[in-house]
Amino acid sequence: MRRADRVGAVLLLLFGVWFAAVALRYYTYWGATGPGSGFFPFWLGVAMTVLAAFLLVQAAREPDPGPAWIPRGRGAVRFLGVLGASVAFVALMPWLGMVLGTVLFLIVILRVLERHSWPTALGVAAGTAAVNWAVFTWWLRVPFPAGVLGF
Amino acid sequence: MDLFANLALGFSIAFTPFNLLMAGAGVILGTLIGALPGIGPVSGVALLLPLTFGMSPTSGIIMLAALYAGSMYGGTITSVLINTPGESASVVTCLDGYQMALRGRAGPALGIAAIGSFIAGTVGVVLLMGMSPLLARWALSFGPPETFALMLLGLTTVTGLTGENAVKGYISMVLGLMLSMVGFDLISGDARYTGGINEMLDGVDFLPVAIGLFGLGEVLAGADQALRMEILNARYGLRDVLPSAADWARSRWAIVRGTVLGFVVGVLPGAGPTIASFLAYTVEKKVSRHPEEFGRGAIEGVAAPESANNAASAGAMVPMLTLGIPGSATTAVMLGGLMMWGIRPGPLLFEKNPDFVWGLIASLYIANVMLLVLNVGFIPVFVRALRVPYSILMALIVVFCITGAYSQNNKLWDVGQMLVFGVIGYGMKKLDYSPAALTLALVLGPLAERALRQALIISDSGVLILFQRPISAVLTVLALAAVATPVARALLASRGRRSPDPANA
Repeated sequence: MRRADRVGAVLLLLFGVWFAAVALRYYTYWGATGPGSGFFPFWLGVAMTVLAAFLLVQAAREPDPGPAWIPRGRGAVRFLGVLGASVAFVALMPWLGMVLGTVLFLIVILRVLERHSWPTALGVAAGTAAVNWAVFTWWLRVPFPAGVLGF
Repeated sequence: MDLFANLALGFSIAFTPFNLLMAGAGVILGTLIGALPGIGPVSGVALLLPLTFGMSPTSGIIMLAALYAGSMYGGTITSVLINTPGESASVVTCLDGYQMALRGRAGPALGIAAIGSFIAGTVGVVLLMGMSPLLARWALSFGPPETFALMLLGLTTVTGLTGENAVKGYISMVLGLMLSMVGFDLISGDARYTGGINEMLDGVDFLPVAIGLFGLGEVLAGADQALRMEILNARYGLRDVLPSAADWARSRWAIVRGTVLGFVVGVLPGAGPTIASFLAYTVEKKVSRHPEEFGRGAIEGVAAPESANNAASAGAMVPMLTLGIPGSATTAVMLGGLMMWGIRPGPLLFEKNPDFVWGLIASLYIANVMLLVLNVGFIPVFVRALRVPYSILMALIVVFCITGAYSQNNKLWDVGQMLVFGVIGYGMKKLDYSPAALTLALVLGPLAERALRQALIISDSGVLILFQRPISAVLTVLALAAVATPVARALLASRGRRSPDPANA
């Protein structure tokens, strides 16, 4: 975590400077009547720069490397699996549609990633897709992408 | 209109079938969300926000407030039976609650918690009802300097009390304020920080951020932790749950003290139910004639914090409704919801939207009665829900995050934002930044900027105007003190202690 803090502090510091610079360069700091659109963002950028500098000092002085925070082994597989499946679900939604997408997503997570039995995975997937359809499509009338099945 | 006429109006709204149904749904889901480790009231409110688009704002807030109250009841079940807090406001209940359960007294522990919660929740609503109109009337005199000072105080106190690293808390806050700058500036019409992307002109939407940080982010953070849960077997018949005369004699003053303390702490900006429950436990141990029993199954050690967190959750609604400043992460997300529904919280709310406010207050009375019945009579149902494997729960939450994020504007762009903030939320949680402070800042950012700019326009001495008017001077000084204390402490001691994130309640 110490290294993450050092790297994070440097990135946040640069971000703060950039944010303040953009505010001064492109927006009005002080207009005819008072503060303009660049005033508040400029000071936010300054605040971020100062805070990130504090964090950098803190992390530089820290003697303890701290706990590892990046998941490993089974944890990493689950993290990447859930995230990857979610991204794929969203990216494929225009083609799959909400109902089929939900079913496939849950089967991937529950059967492939978590090794639940087929009946459990299918049951949860079908039940969730049905409830989701009832709440969002039927009750709230959210127009989800229809996809290949037409619903 | 006097208090009783207002209350009558409130009950006439709360007793409509749909609002009763929403209160019922809120308390059941809230108890479940409170009981299940891994999701707490913030996630619950963020996940249910999309459902409220289909109803009136009054029904929406009734459901969310009932959920918040319910989660305070439900967290106890997990603390007592599994020794794992269901949500952060029940952390301290584990100490004596689990010990009671090990000694075969899980029933009375859950019973006294439910009864204490009911008393505290109901008294909390009475105090909320009495105090809010007064506070609102006082706040009516606020000009831009006072408004800005108040927001500054709200932001800094929530942030300062969050997590173990204050610097990271403030970084999270400034990041939230920066995100709130994206899009059209309402005063000048400038499009700021959009990177030329059309979708960014409307700004960073609150809902995808809240769902991403507290829904997907929590799931991802939980995905690499194996939760092993062993549920103690216990009997939960009505006779097993009702506390004995001796239990009651020991607990009643603990409940009273917890209620008063909890409400006061809840009203203060920045300190929510979690801090209230810790304080109540500490106080109870101090005043007890047998402090050595604490940690070994003292019933006061359950009664006091469980009362305090319920009173605090009612108290936290006071500054949210009357000043537009949320006292905790959950009320911050609720505040974002209010704004999405087009309701402007603040001093005028009580005059402009009486049915909203009084419907909410009346519903909270009803919700507490429902919760007492649920948490005395239906404990086995919630214990069964705890047996649902985390992997299934997690997958369901992700589906709900995706559908919910889509349903506000029917745009995949929002779902993309939600995914991005899910990853950001994961990183923030792992590295001790504060998603709660970011969310609060995102909600308050545009309002704070406008108040500051207006204050500077009417000022002829620059920012000094904040110190020239008495109320804003006091608030500003308090806010600066809130910033200075933890930053100074953090710089002196480079190593912090581990503590649960109090703003997560």
